[in-house]
Amino acid sequence: MSEVQSKTKAPSEPLFSKKNRKLITDPLTDNNPVTVQVLGICSALAITVKVETAVVMGASVIFVTALGNLVISLLRNIMPSRIRIIVQLVVAAALVIVVNEILKAFLPDVSEQLSVFVGLIITNCIIMGRFEAYAMANKPWPSLLDGIGNGAGYAGLLIIVAAVRELFGSGSLYGFKVFGNAIPGSETGLYTMGYVNNNLVILPPMALIIVGIIIWVQRSRNKSLQESH
Amino acid sequence: MAINKESNVYTIVFATIMVVVVGGVLAFLSLSLKDKQEANGRVKKKIEILSALLSADEMSKIDRTNAEEKYEEYIKEGVLLTSTGTVVKEGVEGKEAAFGVDIKGEYKNKNIAVKDRQYPMFIAQKDGKTLYIIPVIGKGLWGPIWGNLCISEDMRSISGASFGHQGETPGLGAEISQGFFVDRWTKANEVIADESGEFVPFEIVKDGTGANPNKIDGITGGTITSKGVEEMVNRCLVPYTVYFKTKKS
Amino acid sequence: METTLDIFVKAIFSENMIFAYFLGMCSYLAVSKTVKTAVGLGAAVIFVLIVTVPVNWILENYLLKAGALEWLNPAWKDVDLSFISFIMFIAVVASIVQLVEMLVEKFSPSLYGALGIFLPLIAVNCSILGGALFMQERQYSTFLDVTAFSMGSGIGWAIAIIFIAAIREKIRYSHIPAPLRGLGITFIITGLMGIAFMSFMGITYVDEPKKEKKVGTTMIEDASVLRADVSDSSFKTGK
Repeated sequence: MSEVQSKTKAPSEPLFSKKNRKLITDPLTDNNPVTVQVLGICSALAITVKVETAVVMGASVIFVTALGNLVISLLRNIMPSRIRIIVQLVVAAALVIVVNEILKAFLPDVSEQLSVFVGLIITNCIIMGRFEAYAMANKPWPSLLDGIGNGAGYAGLLIIVAAVRELFGSGSLYGFKVFGNAIPGSETGLYTMGYVNNNLVILPPMALIIVGIIIWVQRSRNKSLQESH
Repeated sequence: MAINKESNVYTIVFATIMVVVVGGVLAFLSLSLKDKQEANGRVKKKIEILSALLSADEMSKIDRTNAEEKYEEYIKEGVLLTSTGTVVKEGVEGKEAAFGVDIKGEYKNKNIAVKDRQYPMFIAQKDGKTLYIIPVIGKGLWGPIWGNLCISEDMRSISGASFGHQGETPGLGAEISQGFFVDRWTKANEVIADESGEFVPFEIVKDGTGANPNKIDGITGGTITSKGVEEMVNRCLVPYTVYFKTKKS
Repeated sequence: METTLDIFVKAIFSENMIFAYFLGMCSYLAVSKTVKTAVGLGAAVIFVLIVTVPVNWILENYLLKAGALEWLNPAWKDVDLSFISFIMFIAVVASIVQLVEMLVEKFSPSLYGALGIFLPLIAVNCSILGGALFMQERQYSTFLDVTAFSMGSGIGWAIAIIFIAAIREKIRYSHIPAPLRGLGITFIITGLMGIAFMSFMGITYVDEPKKEKKVGTTMIEDASVLRADVSDSSFKTGK
């Protein structure tokens, strides 16, 4: 990213200054919206059976957080504070509708699998949380980066969970059969040796347990995140 | 600027502008994408109909881009029946009518009495043979399940099938859409009617015990979905057997 | 077809908002530290769901759905407003929560004392919007079904949060590995509870004919039931 560091807007700080880069990278790890800030788990986990749906969902959330943050940040000085929350909700809902309509038109199969969970991005706490906590008080450009970062942190977690579940549950990754053909009668690869897919991983509750384990790993590495009781 | 941001007038003007802008953008987007979305729905339905007619190899050549054309190539006519097996529309005219019926919506809608449901059927020509494709709809464990059964020229034996589901448990109930389950319907000379044209109900039995005609192996661990398939097929096929019976005599 | 009771029971157990769909997890995790607050939030969620989902259903069926405006003017039968349903639903939820808060404050100060602080939290609780979206997706056709669904979902959510709060009160005295404390262990316990709740799945088929008798006889019984179902007496099976 260093070559992009050239100063485009004169006296202010460079577009990808260290501080701005941190806006993107921080939410990916130590300030992850899901595992640390505990935001936005609601709409996340039911769609992590397959990597493909998780990728589309993640991209949708990045789109909404980034553009939403940008719009809110642009409007922050002309917005009447009394109807602040309503304006935020309308912006979020409108962007989600845009995503939903586009998915329905261009990715109909994925859209069907995501079903109501696209709509639930509206109440995803990450969106409202970032609007209120960051975009209302910052300039458009950092807000956009903050939105991308938080959306990406969320998407990253979704994809990790989905990869674990798809690999062990269906023996594939992004639809590609890693362990061979599992269809009874014509097994290939690992399945000829008696390997069986773990159906438990596909069931919804396992998503929670996997997130629990991810949190465990993260907090063992970073002691400052541990809770006291 | 000297505008008071907290005044009522400003708030109302702001809200109005916001509503108009958002409403306009969304309405424009929705209108411009609507045709494409509806076409997607139609194409999907056509693929499902074709999947009962064609073998897995033939289906692998069909995707969203050429489904419409293939559909026109095979499906020649359609029939629309009432629940008692009376013909509402037939022939080429029936093709559009049958395709337009939303059996999923009718099945779910409690305001439509069971006897008022419509029963569409598609008649295909393939390799010089006339085949009948019957869509079926029911419910599995988590949500709706559906399928299409292809009846061969003798109007009683099943020559093809396909099943779909919305959210059955992967690896268990969801296996109904897999090839091996479909083969259980097509490979063993299963019939929907006896020699005299009377409907013969199906039974889904424990995995591995289905030997007799019309006893079909269910899916281990997917009992409720399997039972759902059984109920769906037995319920949906009855009007068609009546139609076939009158057609034959 | 699903009976109303079927929908109700399913919404509480096998399609539990928390354990099957993870909806409303944010407040579920934040407000489940003591049983007392959990009961308050649970009650508020039940209440708001019972009010908002049927209201949204009415809007959906008489305003938004394709052809829903026909009752106003037959010429509008092709109007399809369903693309704005998300905004509509969230606006309804937000305004009803506000309205309920004001009404409760005015007419029942004691109830307000118990629920009051939770009501604003609920507007952004995914389970409320989720209830409306599931209602739209599953196309419930009667008002009774929708009410049963919303009540069941609410009760299911309340059960989940009360259970986890009770467990979290006890778990404070256990030796949990430091990195798992708090959030981590709560996730894992919720997952285990979800697996436990999956054993309720079998009860979805309350309207299924009994199958465990002799196979030969039940087959015929079932068939006649099914035929009666389809034919509605006007259609002779030729027996």
